[in-house]
Amino acid sequence: MTTAIHIENISKRYVIQHGSAAGSLKELVEHYRRLITRRFIPNFKRGQKDPYEVTTEEFWALKDVSFDIPKGDKLGILGRNGAGKSTLLKIMSQITKPTSGRIVIYGRISSLLEMGTGFHGELSGRENIFLNGALLGMGRTEITRKFDEIVAFSEIEQFIDTPFKRYSSGMQARLGFSVAAHLEPDILILDEVLAVGDVQFQKKCLIKMESISKSGATVIFVNHGIDAIKQFCKHAIVLEKGKLILDTHDVDEAIRLYLGEST
Amino acid sequence: MLILEAKTNPKNYWKAIWQRRSLLFYVTRRDLTVRYKQTLVGMSWVLIRPILTMLIFSLLFGSIAKLDSSGLPYGFVVFAGIVPWFLFANLFGETSNSIIANATMFTKVNCPRLIFPISTLVVGLVDFSLGFILLLAMMLWYGIPIQLEIICFPIFILSAAMLAIGLGLMAATLNARFRDFQQLIPFVLQMGIYLSPVGYLNQLVPKKWELLYALNPVAGIINGFRWSLTPNVIAPYWPGLIYSVVISIAMLYLGIKVFRAAEDNFADTI
Repeated sequence: MTTAIHIENISKRYVIQHGSAAGSLKELVEHYRRLITRRFIPNFKRGQKDPYEVTTEEFWALKDVSFDIPKGDKLGILGRNGAGKSTLLKIMSQITKPTSGRIVIYGRISSLLEMGTGFHGELSGRENIFLNGALLGMGRTEITRKFDEIVAFSEIEQFIDTPFKRYSSGMQARLGFSVAAHLEPDILILDEVLAVGDVQFQKKCLIKMESISKSGATVIFVNHGIDAIKQFCKHAIVLEKGKLILDTHDVDEAIRLYLGEST
Repeated sequence: MLILEAKTNPKNYWKAIWQRRSLLFYVTRRDLTVRYKQTLVGMSWVLIRPILTMLIFSLLFGSIAKLDSSGLPYGFVVFAGIVPWFLFANLFGETSNSIIANATMFTKVNCPRLIFPISTLVVGLVDFSLGFILLLAMMLWYGIPIQLEIICFPIFILSAAMLAIGLGLMAATLNARFRDFQQLIPFVLQMGIYLSPVGYLNQLVPKKWELLYALNPVAGIINGFRWSLTPNVIAPYWPGLIYSVVISIAMLYLGIKVFRAAEDNFADTI
């Protein structure tokens, strides 16, 4: 079996800054002023805690994560809030860089980390399809070719020339998913895309994901709802506090582990 | 095959932007069309602001202060300053804002970040073109002959754009970290319109201050722009002109450097 994504010892460190560095320029300047004052006037307010002092704290969102995603895989990523799921997806999507380690990607990757990123309220549905499609990496001709399909899938034909801000949140979500679902990437990353939309539309999304997968694409799926993971995924990993604790093809086992630690 | 690692891979940077030109197209179209949605007069706003500024400045500096305009109609003198100034000010302001304004895109989608500042450039040039057409119409109206020197005007417009984008990229980088610049820049621009020869001619500045005054690169740009339109009346201050062009190129280069050094961290720091 060929590999779609090879993940090798990936770590991501965030530095959380407390005090002045987290605030405005004025506070930072004040902090350095005090530092300099203290250097030249040794007795200056010694022993007092400087409210402008910068303290930093390291936080490892991911620590030494390694695994492989084979081509055509249907991978579910499980983990509680703060386990590192989104960070991992962001690194794979080239939005942020890893602190160490490396990822090798074979093929064109598309990711939908948030429904409707870049959609603009003042633009019509039609204009937004082109803008969002281009943002997700489609060319102009490609969008034109798939335009009717995207509109039909989202079920908003009637409102296609209405400003996006007049859409209901369900309609907005449908249009968002619809554009992303017509990307035809080799690897598709989906983060919490089923969180919005009604049950009917969720079903439709799962069917669409199934057909994308059938066409040979690798799908990476993060969802807090267990049922969708159970139904769709054939491979699962569980993350806990930035570490990979399970990599299995027994999705039920992964779900048990995930639920077990949740309670 | 694509390898993602901690260290940056600087090659293919410009190629990646070219490959995403359809995104640039749609972002620019968005920026052009969204601005005046739900307004009564729509695109006319592009001209209303400079025209009102011209009227006020002509009244203040021409009719009340009675500053010397070297025989040119005062309204024309002011408008020939306003057109390049507005290009500079709009581009500088918009570029410095372009990172936070599009923050959701950076943190959720992988796209070349320089696309957003480039889009502001296109919008700025569209606005400039409208103002420039009006300026040419004014010349016709006042019977000011167009001379051969007019072919030089793109040099100064390009300088204004390069200076604005260069400074704007640096400000945008700082803005991503310290929002103070969001407050500071409108103020700087408000002051800058008086410190630059928008409402008056460069030659009104006393000789002993000439060199100091020319340190503001916009002074040379506006001086050069006016000279290209009316070469018989406006004397170019060559050291200032050359300085402005050189500084503009340097600022653009520096701005891109600073932006590229910081952009990989935007998603984490914004």
